[in-house]
Amino acid sequence: MALTTQRRFTTPGPDETVEELASRALPGEPLEAAVDRIKSWNLHIFAGRKPAGLLLGSDVVFVEPPLG
Amino acid sequence: MAYDVVVRNGLVVDGTGAPSFRADVGVKDGRIAEIGAIAPGAGAREVDAAGRVVAPGFIDPHTHFDVQLLWDGAARPALEHGVTCVVPGNCSLSLAPLKAADRQRVVGMFQQIEEMPPEAFTTAFDWSWEDFAGYRRAIEKALSINVAPLVGHSVIRLWVMGAAAQERAATADEIAAMQDLLRQCLEAGAVGLSTSFVDIDENGRPVPSRFAQFEELDALSATLGEFGRMLQCVPEFYDTDITIARIDQLSELSLKHGIPTTFSPVFDSRATPNNVPRIMARVEEQFARGARVWPQMQTRPIDVSFSLLRPSLFFARLPRWVRVLRQPVEARLASLNDPETKAKMVADLGADGGERMMGKLVVRGGDAAPADLIGKTLGEIAAARGQAPALALIDLSLENGLDVAFLAASTGHEDTDRVTPTPANPLVHIGASDGGAHISSFSTYGDTGYLFSEFVRKGGHLSLEQAVAKITGETADIWGLKDRGRLKAGLAADIVVFDPDTIDREAELPAFDMPGDGMRYVRGARGIDTVLVNGQVAYAGGAYTEARSGVVCV
Repeated sequence: MALTTQRRFTTPGPDETVEELASRALPGEPLEAAVDRIKSWNLHIFAGRKPAGLLLGSDVVFVEPPLG
Repeated sequence: MAYDVVVRNGLVVDGTGAPSFRADVGVKDGRIAEIGAIAPGAGAREVDAAGRVVAPGFIDPHTHFDVQLLWDGAARPALEHGVTCVVPGNCSLSLAPLKAADRQRVVGMFQQIEEMPPEAFTTAFDWSWEDFAGYRRAIEKALSINVAPLVGHSVIRLWVMGAAAQERAATADEIAAMQDLLRQCLEAGAVGLSTSFVDIDENGRPVPSRFAQFEELDALSATLGEFGRMLQCVPEFYDTDITIARIDQLSELSLKHGIPTTFSPVFDSRATPNNVPRIMARVEEQFARGARVWPQMQTRPIDVSFSLLRPSLFFARLPRWVRVLRQPVEARLASLNDPETKAKMVADLGADGGERMMGKLVVRGGDAAPADLIGKTLGEIAAARGQAPALALIDLSLENGLDVAFLAASTGHEDTDRVTPTPANPLVHIGASDGGAHISSFSTYGDTGYLFSEFVRKGGHLSLEQAVAKITGETADIWGLKDRGRLKAGLAADIVVFDPDTIDREAELPAFDMPGDGMRYVRGARGIDTVLVNGQVAYAGGAYTEARSGVVCV
């Protein structure tokens, strides 16, 4: 049975920074814009966590906005 | 005598979901020996079950009785609710394997995550073990209830990596060591592995399991696959998209390694009405692919009680309140009396001064609560005082030695008409009671009685047979407990005799029965006559017996 489309995500690699993750997940984007997008789609990491932006190996990091 | 016990003249609901039937149940040497018409006088002990249901003992798959079992082998009051098997060790935390040097670190996590008082870990037992087999021996000394313990991913990580468990990804050698350690735990009786994607320790730092790469969880799941055992996790239940991502991860592990997986909790809420439907749609898709990814749903609404005597999860989204309430009493009082701190705390509630979050709180009691305020809402009290609700809460508490208890009733999962169709879904696993945890915030006991009173008698959305199967046979199948969950000749004689017309949970009351006179909220049971554990009567006539027939039952 085919799965319905859900919001795409990735998980951080060991010691991967948000810049490295953004470059990997959004390769066509200028780095600064890519980082901003990743942050805006993942407030559970970049707004709701202390220290903000601490990337954990188990994190679900969305690479696209919520699906309509 | 042909039988040790005969439960006579009852309505047998056997845990399979099949129609009930009248029969006697004969028990011999801890096992069900016969179900049918048994000659009078054949039992050394006869239990009259006329007008009662005779069912398999209930199984509670999500508890945190890890520490309580060390001084209370009945996991009171779980047993008196008809629960004959509990699964502790959920949410990445267990008390083994645990090196002596790491005990305080894990105790801090238990205190933060499960709101257990420090005295529970310091005054009631001697730490005599480090490995999982040692913990098993420690609890087996006086068990009245059966235990199917999970081992926690966070403590496995801590054993292998030490402090680095909360700092970084594991190396290949460390992952291999974790697999070896998990294997030892499974051989010593662990029913599976638990992990968490949301929890923090007492310092606000993510617990060790959250630092694991997916590859680490994949490797540990491969080890689970050698035994066919369970992987349990706590997902980011407050966010549907993330929960669905976790469902997909669990499904991948289930399919790859042939293991059952379960996640909890799943809450219904008016604020997020699409949450449960979206989760269940994804679960159904994954089951159709062959994955086993069981969503655990509790039956009870979410009620939270608190006072300013101790920290509470009620303030989880108010960091300043958490910091103030975590202080020792003298420092806490100083902070609450400090005008500047108090003003900042009130300001944290926003422009309405806490009306939305706190206005409907009800004064429920506490030794010092003014009698004329009990039953009134904080909104009413604040209006009479001419204060913002948040300020009224602080001042009212200060005026009464902080010992004023407030109740936030039905803050979620409370709309039975919305919740009711979901437990009937065959893919929903009834559980997530959190038994033995959050003891100063709400009672985690009696969800089974509430299942019958609310969802069978009142709502009529589950038949008696379906409800029994949900918390017995189906649960045993999900967890691979082959000897439990059904009334069938040859299986372990875990039996509950109850009145189908009255079984329920009692009102939530404070009790002071924790080590060090610690307080917890409990609910007694209604309608439970007799409970047998492995063939011995462990509870009857409203009292616990001296039976110690519980086992680690994996």
